[in-house]
Amino acid sequence: MTLTYLKKHTAYARIAMAQGRRERAELYGRVVFFAVILGVFSSLWRAVGEAGLPASGDPRALVWYLAATEWIMLSAPQIHLEIQEAIRRGDVVYRLGHPASYVMAEFAAGLGATALRMPFLGLTAFGCAFAFTRWTPPLSAIALFIPFAVMAAALLVALYLWIGLLAFWLQDVSPVFWVTQKLMFVFGGLMLPLAMYPSAMQKAAAFTPFPVMLFAPASIVLGTGLVRPVILARDLALWGGVMALVVQWTYRRAAAGLTVNGG
Amino acid sequence: MTRWVNTLRFARALVTTNLKAALALRGAFVMQALFMVLNNFTFFVFWWVLMRRTPTLRGWRLADIQVLFGVVAAGYGLTVTLAGGVRYLGQAIEDGALDTLLTQPKPVLLHALGLRLQPSGFGDVLSGLVFILWSGQVSWRTAPAVALAIAASALACAACGIVFFSLAFWVGRVETAARQLWELLLTFSLYPEPLFGGALRLALFTVLPAGFVGYLPASVVREPSIQNMSMLATGAVLYFTLAVLVFDAGLRRYASGSRFTTFG
Amino acid sequence: MQPAVDLYELSKSFRVRRPRSGGIGARLSNFIAPDVQAVPAVDRLSFSIAPGERVAFIGPNGAGKSTTLKLLAGILQPDAGEVRVMGLVPSRQRTELAFAIGTVFGQRSQLWYQLPPRDTFELLGRVYEIDARAHARRIEALTAVFGLGELMSTPVRHLSLGERMRCEIAASLLHSPRMLFLDEPTIGLDVSAKAAIRELLLTESIRQGITLLLTSHDTGDMESVCDRVIVIHRGRLLWDDSIAALRKSFLSAKRVTFWSEAEHLDVTLPGVKVVSSAAHRTELEIESGATPLGQVVDAALRQSSITDMVIEDAPLDEVIRALYAKAERRCAT
Repeated sequence: MTLTYLKKHTAYARIAMAQGRRERAELYGRVVFFAVILGVFSSLWRAVGEAGLPASGDPRALVWYLAATEWIMLSAPQIHLEIQEAIRRGDVVYRLGHPASYVMAEFAAGLGATALRMPFLGLTAFGCAFAFTRWTPPLSAIALFIPFAVMAAALLVALYLWIGLLAFWLQDVSPVFWVTQKLMFVFGGLMLPLAMYPSAMQKAAAFTPFPVMLFAPASIVLGTGLVRPVILARDLALWGGVMALVVQWTYRRAAAGLTVNGG
Repeated sequence: MTRWVNTLRFARALVTTNLKAALALRGAFVMQALFMVLNNFTFFVFWWVLMRRTPTLRGWRLADIQVLFGVVAAGYGLTVTLAGGVRYLGQAIEDGALDTLLTQPKPVLLHALGLRLQPSGFGDVLSGLVFILWSGQVSWRTAPAVALAIAASALACAACGIVFFSLAFWVGRVETAARQLWELLLTFSLYPEPLFGGALRLALFTVLPAGFVGYLPASVVREPSIQNMSMLATGAVLYFTLAVLVFDAGLRRYASGSRFTTFG
Repeated sequence: MQPAVDLYELSKSFRVRRPRSGGIGARLSNFIAPDVQAVPAVDRLSFSIAPGERVAFIGPNGAGKSTTLKLLAGILQPDAGEVRVMGLVPSRQRTELAFAIGTVFGQRSQLWYQLPPRDTFELLGRVYEIDARAHARRIEALTAVFGLGELMSTPVRHLSLGERMRCEIAASLLHSPRMLFLDEPTIGLDVSAKAAIRELLLTESIRQGITLLLTSHDTGDMESVCDRVIVIHRGRLLWDDSIAALRKSFLSAKRVTFWSEAEHLDVTLPGVKVVSSAAHRTELEIESGATPLGQVVDAALRQSSITDMVIEDAPLDEVIRALYAKAERRCAT
């Protein structure tokens, strides 16, 4: 990858960030939602604790776990809708003529928006988690978690990008998004660490990128030593590679279809 | 009398036209409905997994959660199918789409609500009914209570949507904020009420009536007492009346032109 | 006979927020105590329209045309003055008025996008409480008149703009209104589509005695459909008379185009101005009363043999532009 190539696509990231700064209402809404969800769940885990949760689950740690997974989830902008709109409007046809890869440009823009949201939402996540639990995990755990969270968010952006590209074939990609998101909740262990699931479900989850996006990075915060950073890094890289291939292949099929049919 | 009959006929015609429009894109319709069912069941897996390990949570069992889920899903589904225009009310106010409705001899709010239908709502209603039946807490005798619960939940849900999106009459571009408020309402209504502390519980029965969208309708299904049912019915009707009053006040403001910042 | 539209000293102002520029202090004061000014959109407007008249309602952008239309249709409430449409007060008798008027907004559609026009027509039957059989007959009649035939079963999203507009106008006439308000009905249409729409409006208005009030930036709409033009500027009445009178008394000029054997013609006479000039073609504008037309023609003939000549009135566009310019100058002084 040449420097020019990188610079070109970083420009897309910068524009996305500038745009994100203007669309603050959405961000504030997410902050409020985040705070509410953490509040509800801290209450939930306390109730579960009263009812007798297995020893491996400290209610306070579970609140921090949720803060970690939600941080990753909420930081990634849902770019599938914008991409769907661009495809519907036919903007993509114009972009095909540009000397920049459409998918790289969209990915860069997605990363730019993520970079803007992560600090805000991170402060909210950890601030609220502390406020509701009056406890923090070891700071080294949090420090280790952060870079993995960023990588996981990037992987999530790639997934949303792929869903958006499906608009070349589907009238409306929202249903695909809903189901993917819910599968992510389940197999990614958004609200409940995967370790608490029936083993059959855990085995099934291993075939999806979701554990690597949510459960594995967030488990670092739990400090149980369940997830080894080196393995996680390897898995993130592997799934990143798979995602990149899938996205490129999908885009090439779509672009070929466009040129054959005349748009 | 004739006026009411005509209004009802009009409402029925709106629903029929909406259905025709939604079915015009059959593939998208089916996909939205089906995927919403999948969506709701997948979301429920969390509770299934949790309740396997913790059978009772402050007095709530899995069956109670199923009823709660069912009522909220069905109520929300009814809202976005029969009154799907509520989600676009803010936009209609901003774009001046209400102008056309104001030149026609039918109630503006009814017309605006009935302009759209979200096919995913059918998926919500279907999954809602399945959850309720699956909970094992209902029988043929309690069917009327279930119907009341779902209707009341829909009424309360719609009422909140109307109030949130009507803020556009006063504040301007509220699309994002209103949508997120509405999502917040749904989020709260999906969690068992015993989880919430005193002050929050009060809020959930007043300013953000998630209690009337989820908890109270679910109680009516589980224990269809006269007291529960009257409280629910009264609450839902009151909220909806309030919503209509808010919309009417906003519409008067719209007609007085005080919300405009440009003119032509 | 009761006028179709009767306005007396109608006024409407809008409250416009003028944001102060600056830093945090300015932003804060904008939020707490915004600087709100009342901007008049319609200022003591008075005019009357008889039933069956076809009136063009024009003015530059921001003149108050749409606001006036909205006041007449009952969408907005006036601040002062009186207005009656079909004998009803729009702001107080909106529902009753709705049965008597139809509206066509060029930039907005009342047809359901995914469905054929027939489905919208049926819904409108319920909106206007039309008896089912009468409604069916009316749809058939309008389908014939507007040539809608196949269009009725084609989803609106597959119709061209011209076809859609024909359906929109037909839809607005379903309930046999006595008055039709049209806001830019031919915007975006090609030449033949515009001609078709204009003809339909004119014929239907004459046949059924429907009063038309039409706003448009296209003078062709005015000339083809209307007999009278009302011009407003900054919310005030600028002109109210027939189109012929507008031409005659406001800007009386003739346009003469000569095709000559000589490459250029040089006609310098008082009140004669060259509008455009190309090889063997010269277009002149002659102010009436300045130099007799015959003298201009003689002067041209003396310079070169003339192969062709066209004499016409100044285009209406220019007349109106001059009218706006005069009004602006008056406002400035």
